[in-house]
Amino acid sequence: MGEAWAFRARVEHDAALRFTRLVGAISEFDPDSPAIALMRRAATDEERHARLCTELSAAYGQSVEATLLPPPVDIAPAQLGRRQAVLYEVVAACCITETESVATLATLLVERAEPRVRTVLHEIARDEVVHGRMGWAHLAREATQVDVSFLSAWIPVMFSGTVDDDLFAEPVPEAETEELLRHGVLPHSQKREVFVRTLLDVVLPGLETFGVDAGPGRTWLEQRQSGTP
Amino acid sequence: MLFKKLFQILVLGGAVVGTNTACTTRAEAQTAAKKGMKDGGMAADAGAQAAAGGVKGW
Repeated sequence: MGEAWAFRARVEHDAALRFTRLVGAISEFDPDSPAIALMRRAATDEERHARLCTELSAAYGQSVEATLLPPPVDIAPAQLGRRQAVLYEVVAACCITETESVATLATLLVERAEPRVRTVLHEIARDEVVHGRMGWAHLAREATQVDVSFLSAWIPVMFSGTVDDDLFAEPVPEAETEELLRHGVLPHSQKREVFVRTLLDVVLPGLETFGVDAGPGRTWLEQRQSGTP
Repeated sequence: MLFKKLFQILVLGGAVVGTNTACTTRAEAQTAAKKGMKDGGMAADAGAQAAAGGVKGW
């Protein structure tokens, strides 16, 4: 259990660094964007989330320091221009990952978690809604100003980088126990279901809303679900 | 039900936040992008994906 919370602490810490960097990047080409203030606040939120996750991780006997890695690398393809690269990163980090996080948190909050865990889940969920929305806000704004259709071909790459390969594999029995829910962790099959439903009902229709063809993303998902490499 | 609500809150809510404050037209912005940025209208080569990735989350 501690490993899951330590991983989350690292994810939140990485998000804080990413959002701080994106504040400067967006300011260069769109200084009036509402996403700038939202991301500045989000960076602060994520540091607080990292501390909350670190505390829970420690309570489960797992040191986060031992799991910390170097700052997140630039995930955008090298051939994209700066503005496209920023949009790529915002879509990957917010429209996909933060949206998935909100769905996971909302699902966990329906279950009966330990009081301390529930308090942390609730606090983080409240902020993650804002973080997901700011990504969609940036995409919506960019769609009114520049061509965003280039994203379509990159969506499968973003999806692949969001989840571990074993999400679509058969789980080990320990990963399926409902006991995990008490500690704020989804059993494997439920995690996969939330991931898939979020892509199908939120992320892919959302991309289409702003003129990004969801076809390649849908194909990626169908291949994963059918076991096609 | 949860996912429908998420679409409304995140996607449609984001559209309101993002587009209500947009103060430049698409044409103006595209012209500026072509002048000042090297990515104006350039399509991505999705075949070269070695350096691209995604972001891990919860």
